[in-house]
Amino acid sequence: MKASTLVDGSVIDPSTIDLWRTRKDKERFQWSSLALLTPAFALLIILFLIPVGYAAYLGFTNLTLVGPTAVKWGYTGMANLHRLNSDTEFRSSLVLSAFFVVGSIVGVLIFGYWLASLLMRSTPWVRVVVGGVVVIAWMMPAITAGMTWYASTTAGGTFATLTGLSNSDFLGSYPLLVVTIANIWSQTGFAMLVFGAALRNIPSEILEAADVENASRFQRFRLIVLPMLRPTMTAIVLLVALLSLANFSLIYVMTQGGPGNATNILPLYSYQQAFQFNNLAYGALIGNVMVVIAAIFGVLYVRVATRRSR
Amino acid sequence: MTLPASEGTVEVLEALEGPTSFNMPPINPETQNSRTRKALSNGLLLVLGLLFLAPMVWLAFASLDSQATWSVEWPHFTLSNFQTVLSGTDLQALMNSLILAIVSTAIATVTGTLAAYAMSRRRIPWKGPLLLFVLFTSGVPLTILIVPLYQLFAIYGWLSIIPTAIFLAVTSLPFEIYLIKNFIDAVPEDLEEAARMEKANTFQILTRVVGPLALPGIAAAAIFGFVNAWGSFIVPLVLISPASQQPAPVAIYGFIGAANVRYGDIAAYSLIFCVPVFLLYAMSARLFREGFVLGGAVKG
Repeated sequence: MKASTLVDGSVIDPSTIDLWRTRKDKERFQWSSLALLTPAFALLIILFLIPVGYAAYLGFTNLTLVGPTAVKWGYTGMANLHRLNSDTEFRSSLVLSAFFVVGSIVGVLIFGYWLASLLMRSTPWVRVVVGGVVVIAWMMPAITAGMTWYASTTAGGTFATLTGLSNSDFLGSYPLLVVTIANIWSQTGFAMLVFGAALRNIPSEILEAADVENASRFQRFRLIVLPMLRPTMTAIVLLVALLSLANFSLIYVMTQGGPGNATNILPLYSYQQAFQFNNLAYGALIGNVMVVIAAIFGVLYVRVATRRSR
Repeated sequence: MTLPASEGTVEVLEALEGPTSFNMPPINPETQNSRTRKALSNGLLLVLGLLFLAPMVWLAFASLDSQATWSVEWPHFTLSNFQTVLSGTDLQALMNSLILAIVSTAIATVTGTLAAYAMSRRRIPWKGPLLLFVLFTSGVPLTILIVPLYQLFAIYGWLSIIPTAIFLAVTSLPFEIYLIKNFIDAVPEDLEEAARMEKANTFQILTRVVGPLALPGIAAAAIFGFVNAWGSFIVPLVLISPASQQPAPVAIYGFIGAANVRYGDIAAYSLIFCVPVFLLYAMSARLFREGFVLGGAVKG
């Protein structure tokens, strides 16, 4: 290459021009980005992705917590799947989970919306007091929420006193119903807040226009409020579904899955098989079933979340 | 997982103080109709509020009662329950919770901030799919990780408090990345360009420019991580084997199963355990409010 001479007579030596450094704006990949991303993603891969993959494999082995197969264990093919297929306890656990999850979703939606819309047209002090109580119930850690509900629904507890049947043991008599109500109690606050924000975002002009057209309250709700709340509702449904499906602490504290197996939803059954019956592999397989169910909810959730952000 | 916590905190204060009204103002503001409707909704709300309050009453009464049982009774007033649980192994369990939560929060927040900055500002191949992966992991229930992690931790001899704290950091990491990224996105890029002109390196930009400006978001993410680790029960129950390292939730569970149930102590301990969570949630609601006032930093 020849050195070029500029108008003013100065000379540019081509060897000083770095051909690789043409673009210096942020659009270029910088190696330091890798350094920034590595810690977080290394943690996610080692303690999240790998365990999920490992669990998928463990589900098809004969690993146990104690005994000879705790040390010498290996792949057993479809044996665990056959067992799962004929396991009546697993089937009832699926049904219990479905009741718990669906019941929680319905309860949280109804109470969340009801509270949010009532708060809209109440006096300020009522709003602060009642809103505060519901939010506190939501903020309470699962373990304390479970504690509190155990204490108030056991024989001689608050609800027994309130209903005047002081010796009735609500938790023992209707365990699944009581733990579902406790779960609704602890998640309604979130739905109430999100519904409240969504309701405030409905432009009042639209509702006024509906009033001008003599729309009934029910029409107003069905034709305006409900469609505008749909994205919010979908998000709440998916979150409550995921949280309830994976709920362990609340039920474990209240009933440990009992009495009998009356509240033994999937996470508890998985834990019971793995750590109480020592069948780590079978517990992992039940976990895998949960992964599949959660993944379906998860994909839906990601879809909704990304659609909303656009 | 505790995902909703974060999204909801934005609205905590709004819901409690929210001045805006959903109903359009009636043509005659104080008609008979609107007044009865208001009274009706107030009444209904108070009934619902009482129903939500009912389970909590026992907690408050029993904690102050020297002769507490499972039933709600006006307390024989004492503070000795609180004194009892703030000593010995119960106090140790609270301290373990604190260690667990602080270590986990520090790890998740530092690594999360670095990743969030890169995700927000840098050109990264497959950024979209990476973000989707992060979002997806924030929705996966962590109960399913218990068995494989127990096996992994057992093989490497990690069944103790610090490795468990690191795992808890991972459980809140995806959401923290998402949250902090949203806040960094809101920091004007002009400020960073100015810093770069002054030959600031990435570390300086992070600690002197972006960090302070995105602090409300980083703090909110840290609070989320803290609450997540503080309240976790099944993870330490399975992954921490020495009893002396077990945190408060496991202690609370132990209270119920004990041969000699100490009702008053359970209530007092549960209340103490809740206090940091309530305070932190209240703080994060405020942080979210202050978070979006960065506009003034750049003059148009």
